[in-house]
Amino acid sequence: MSSNPQIPNPHLQSSSSQSLNFGSKGLRHGSDSEGFSMSRRDLNDDDARLVYVNDPLTTNETFEFSGNSIRTGKYSVITFLPRNLFEQFHRVAYMYFLIIAILNQLPQLAVFGRGASILPLASVLFVTAVKDAYEDWRRHKSDKIENNRMASVLVDHRFQHKKWKDIQVGEVVKVSANETIPCDIVLLSTSDPTGVAYVQTINLDGESNLKTRYAKQETLSRVPEKDFINGLIRSEKPNRNIYGFQANMEIDGKRVSLGPSNIILRGCVIKNTDWTVGVVVYAGRETKAMLNNSGAPSKRSRLETHMNQEIMLLSFFLVTLCVIVSACAGVWLRRHQDELDIMQFYRRKDYSEGQVENYNYYGLGMEIFFSFLMSVIVFQIMIPISLYISMELVRVGQAYFMIRDDKMFDAASNTRFQCRALNINEDLGQIKYVFSDKTGTLTENKMEFQFASISGVDYSGEKTEFYGEQGGYSIQVNGEIWRPKIKVQVDPKLLKLSKTRDDSISSKEIYDFFLALAACNTIVPIVVNASNPNEKLVDYQGESPDEQALVYAAAAYGFMLIERTSGHIVIDIQGERQRFNVLGMHEFDSDRKRMSVILGYPDSTVKVFVKGADTSMFKIIDESLNVDVVRATEAHLHSYSSIGLRTLVVGMRALSVSEFDTWQTSYEIASTALMGRAGLLRKVAINLENNLNLLGASAIEDRLQKGVPEAIESLRKANIKVWVLTGDKQETAISIGYSSKLLTSKMSQIIINNNSKMSCKKSLEDALITSRNVINVTHASEDDASSVALIIDGTSLVYILDSELEEQLFELASKCAVVLCCRVAPLQKAGIVALIKKRTDDMSLAIGDGANDVSMIQMADVGVGISGQEGRQAVMASDFAMGQFRFLVPLLLVHGHWNYQRMAYMILYNFYRNALFVLVLFWYVLYTGFTLTTAITEWSSVLYSIIYTAIPTIVIGILDKDLGRKSLMTYPQLYGSGQRKESYNAKLFWVTMVDTLWQSVVAFFIPVLAYWKSDIDGSSLGDLWTLAVVFMVNIHLAMDVIRWTWISHASVWGSIIATCICVIIIDALPMLPGYWAIFNLAGSGLFWICLLGVLIASMIPRFVVKMFMQHCKPCDLQIAREAEKFRNSMEITRSGEIEMNLPHR
Amino acid sequence: MNSNPSTPMNAHAPSSSSGGAGSPDSNTPRRNSKRPKYSRFTQQELPACKPILTPKWVISAFMLVTIVFIPIGLTTLFASRDVVEIIDRYDNACVPGSKSQKVQHIQSATSNKTCIRSLTVRKRMKQPIYVYYQLDNFYQNHRRYVKSRSDQQLRNRGDENDTSTCKPENEANGMTIVPCGLVAWSLFNDTYSLSTSNSQLTINKRHISWKSDRDEKFGSEVYPKNFQNGGLIGGGRLNESIPLNEQEDLIVWMRTAALPTFRKLYGKIEVDIEAGETINVVVENRYNTYSFSGKKKLVLSTTSWLGGKNNFIGIAYLAVGGLCFLLATTFTIIYLVKPRHLGDPTYLSWNRNPGGH
Repeated sequence: MSSNPQIPNPHLQSSSSQSLNFGSKGLRHGSDSEGFSMSRRDLNDDDARLVYVNDPLTTNETFEFSGNSIRTGKYSVITFLPRNLFEQFHRVAYMYFLIIAILNQLPQLAVFGRGASILPLASVLFVTAVKDAYEDWRRHKSDKIENNRMASVLVDHRFQHKKWKDIQVGEVVKVSANETIPCDIVLLSTSDPTGVAYVQTINLDGESNLKTRYAKQETLSRVPEKDFINGLIRSEKPNRNIYGFQANMEIDGKRVSLGPSNIILRGCVIKNTDWTVGVVVYAGRETKAMLNNSGAPSKRSRLETHMNQEIMLLSFFLVTLCVIVSACAGVWLRRHQDELDIMQFYRRKDYSEGQVENYNYYGLGMEIFFSFLMSVIVFQIMIPISLYISMELVRVGQAYFMIRDDKMFDAASNTRFQCRALNINEDLGQIKYVFSDKTGTLTENKMEFQFASISGVDYSGEKTEFYGEQGGYSIQVNGEIWRPKIKVQVDPKLLKLSKTRDDSISSKEIYDFFLALAACNTIVPIVVNASNPNEKLVDYQGESPDEQALVYAAAAYGFMLIERTSGHIVIDIQGERQRFNVLGMHEFDSDRKRMSVILGYPDSTVKVFVKGADTSMFKIIDESLNVDVVRATEAHLHSYSSIGLRTLVVGMRALSVSEFDTWQTSYEIASTALMGRAGLLRKVAINLENNLNLLGASAIEDRLQKGVPEAIESLRKANIKVWVLTGDKQETAISIGYSSKLLTSKMSQIIINNNSKMSCKKSLEDALITSRNVINVTHASEDDASSVALIIDGTSLVYILDSELEEQLFELASKCAVVLCCRVAPLQKAGIVALIKKRTDDMSLAIGDGANDVSMIQMADVGVGISGQEGRQAVMASDFAMGQFRFLVPLLLVHGHWNYQRMAYMILYNFYRNALFVLVLFWYVLYTGFTLTTAITEWSSVLYSIIYTAIPTIVIGILDKDLGRKSLMTYPQLYGSGQRKESYNAKLFWVTMVDTLWQSVVAFFIPVLAYWKSDIDGSSLGDLWTLAVVFMVNIHLAMDVIRWTWISHASVWGSIIATCICVIIIDALPMLPGYWAIFNLAGSGLFWICLLGVLIASMIPRFVVKMFMQHCKPCDLQIAREAEKFRNSMEITRSGEIEMNLPHR
Repeated sequence: MNSNPSTPMNAHAPSSSSGGAGSPDSNTPRRNSKRPKYSRFTQQELPACKPILTPKWVISAFMLVTIVFIPIGLTTLFASRDVVEIIDRYDNACVPGSKSQKVQHIQSATSNKTCIRSLTVRKRMKQPIYVYYQLDNFYQNHRRYVKSRSDQQLRNRGDENDTSTCKPENEANGMTIVPCGLVAWSLFNDTYSLSTSNSQLTINKRHISWKSDRDEKFGSEVYPKNFQNGGLIGGGRLNESIPLNEQEDLIVWMRTAALPTFRKLYGKIEVDIEAGETINVVVENRYNTYSFSGKKKLVLSTTSWLGGKNNFIGIAYLAVGGLCFLLATTFTIIYLVKPRHLGDPTYLSWNRNPGGH
């Protein structure tokens, strides 16, 4: 586990190389590190795509590139049926149905009639197909809109309108401001003379800030209508990496290299640039946006895994039943062997033909085999296939309610809760571990400049509301007032110092410091209109929130960045405009953990400014220059980070002419290199960045999100262990830990930060002993059980993870209430999650917002993405996405709890429901000479799981609530029932099965004994059983419903009525043998007495056990439910409920 | 389904038009807020009734069952006790000998099958007295048997040839059988004539079948044809000049019984029979149950509102009623001995044993 992006493991590559952060995640320029790993690969002609600029004919000669029309829909009208069926039969469950249906078509095995045997399969296929068709129709609709949008394309030296779907690779496209890019295009020229285009990538990765893209020098001056651009682009094959692009362009005999900054991707929007012209390299489904358009990740919920075990048991029961039936049938046939020929109800011989033959009898062995197969057909619903469909529908319903929950709507970012994975809803009710990222997850990722330490002097004096005169710094431009968009609180002392320009060293250093803050970044200032017509606001757009904060801070102190192009920047320094040439820039990468910019001053001196994480910066600072300053700065940094601030160190060096020349030559060689460009650039940067003069350090505050301490408190009460995994420094992490109430002063901290395996081992052993002592002591005295906090850093984890020390770490960590991991790399985050996942059965949830959390989110049982400031990769990889960390509490404690309770109950109920029916059929088979006659009509047995009993379980599975939101939130401990698997476990399964056995015995034998030796006919008794069983399962359900809304009433009683209607209809068909049976039956008193007796007698054991448990061993949920109803001493009062019901608008 | 963000491009319509980077103004009202529309349904707060079974309810429920079940049990028991039933097994008595002898006797066309039985009436039987025949060990619910009939053919003259389901009794001598199938073929054909010491007892055989069967299920146009002409005679013959809907014995027989021991209505006697009288029964013992060790019984039974004589349901009701009474008392005792204040938070697990779980 190292943070090096060169790890060859392909699985790790994507996540490791995306972006590694130093100290904080803020300074992320993911593109470059990605480009680095990409560019090391050779770009052979073999695996390159050749695009002839403005020559779509040649380009597409071999028809190898897809056009720009997109199709996210899976099916067309013609292919729908075959393709949809094909996809549906990929499921094992449907194959089971199909095989049963096919078996039934064999004449020897024809248990049900044709129609009846196809119906279950057909109805399942139909429901699924309707669902799929609806989804597909929606996709088609959006495709159509997308495909018919207009773009302007260069045809015959003129830009003409063309539909998006007709755009081809190689064509030249012009896109104006605020238009969406139709396909992936390489920039040729823009309205900006320097060839800059600003794009917003919110549709692609959710980042709302502007990014800069550049046209190449070689092309930007061409006017496409007049100059015929004739070039050839060699680009890599389409791939889904939206942060990487590798190509070169041959133009006028020159080879120009193209990188991620030269391409604009489909879905981006052009901003602040009048027009851009580019050549299409990837179109349609080959665009990066479309390639990234994969469906939600598929996971299987814990409950479903357990359920599948029980389904195996049920199949075992099924086989047992079938074996019993076929064995008995064999014995029966053997005993009656001699009589079969003429026995009136068997008559083996067929006399109708000339010679007398056996009719439909294939010898004892075959008869046993056939009766086995037939019993499988008759008892098929023992395996509740419909359960899978019901579960899917229930999950869709649950997802609907989660998305619509207005308490999980984030007004600040205008995002709803998102359910990306549709099959792990119920896992949310069983979480034991939460792994949380810090930046952007616990904190807002809205950076605010707080303190500065400049040449050893700490400016962290009291903060005032004083923004300088007239509410902040402003400058005059052409009679307008320009001011920064965001105001920053300033330190008056420093403000005063920054305004004084004298030749004192401190003044110069302050000047350099702020100049570094304003210049050493990739921020683009954009002037926007303010409410006041005479005023303009300068909005700093950039990829890193830290940089934005620094630039706003510099502006507040009078160093206002007002223009940036690829070649120069203009900074207004205390009212005086200064233009600096940007001679070169080494962007941030995760190895160096710093960035640098080479500025050419107006007086043609050249200086390099570097800013980066303290660890990486102190290595390259020339300490001999001023030891005291360095020591003082280090002390300041320590104090900043201990109050939870993010720190950066700034350094500077003047370059001599010879140094500059050497650098420039190597820089040019490196930046035009075709292979290994990023590596070469890095080498150049490392050679340049040394012997720096320390300017100072900055401290940025990343505020905690709203409600985080309360959320963590709730989670802790719910017995969920919260682990924070952060890239921040140890001190920062601990201080955030305190402010988020993760750590309390009562806890004893165990800190592990070592540099070797041996020392790690030793400290782990010591820590184990300490933790045991602490736990013993607290156990003896206090109620607060395990109050040990473990703080461990990434370096130690390098030695511990994937070694034999893992076991010890796990043992230690499981004893600790809180674990804080600082300075961890993305892959280590996943490693820590895996540590828990491998060793326990407990469910884990990972929550994060950035690209560096992707691996962790994918590793955990449930991954939650915060759709916040950073990109959308975390969201794309997640199962659920939401706007704020605090929504985790309603998500887990309320929705998770409900989902789990509902789903667990629904599964058990479905087992019961189907087994009951099968057992009633089975008992009857014992009275028919083991010949699999069903008294219940075949239509009723088919409709049983489709109409008679299907709807209530789904409705209850979606709507029933065991407890109100308020109780669940007030008593987070109630969440424990899911963690302890209280609602679905092996014991409950067996209890349910025993109950089912009893109920089936009652349902079968009461009517049998009541009608023993009577003239009752099969159809009448069958109708009695049908009604009895349907009434029973619905009353059973009714006994367990906790909240009766009108919908539950309608579904439960409605399905009883529907059953009666169906039975009546079936019995009103004169071509069926059971004609009019129900009417004759209903006229007799015995029928009603039987029905009542069956219903009461079958429910008694269940009712007694339930009531006994409720009274004598009440579970927490039961007590809370009573409290909710009877508003006892608990604060759950009626008024609370009403208050909760009021819309929060 | 709204959740499926398979098309992120569409999922994120360019709504946030203001490209304000790190500064989304949460105060300014947004034009297209995605805030879910509030309704009690979507917030899962529909008005609901939350029944909780308190001790009072539990005990009352048990008591209610007791109060309902005991009287029903008693009435059914009394009703069943009032039914007078005479059962006479005659198959063995009429044909003595070993099994093969019996089979031979019954299969022979020439043997004398008349058999005389006399029954003593112990209790006064009030009319109507139902005459049943009871077959034991006859699987009228056997799969082969149940399926071997054609309901279409029985209804419609036009569907005469709809006999695919009737195998192996679908045709004989190359012609279709009406009514086809094993069920019809095995028609029970023992006959009984009953007399008391002083008079003949008329057995009324009209309307012994269901009216619905006569009206709809068996056609008035359909006449028996080619019936019992095959190689093996299964049972009774039918008068070919009477339409099926008037062949009531056949209609009764073809309503196949649910269980292997069953009774079928033979006819009704519409006079009272006094206690102590002896009924002489002349049985034409033709039907072969000997080959599969079945039993044949003649049953005379009066009826109650409940049907025939059956003590089971009464006993079952009394048992359930009694059990519920017992449970009601048990729960009362439990609630008295170990009361629990409903919803008392001190019972919550984390309050009971602090620190542990």
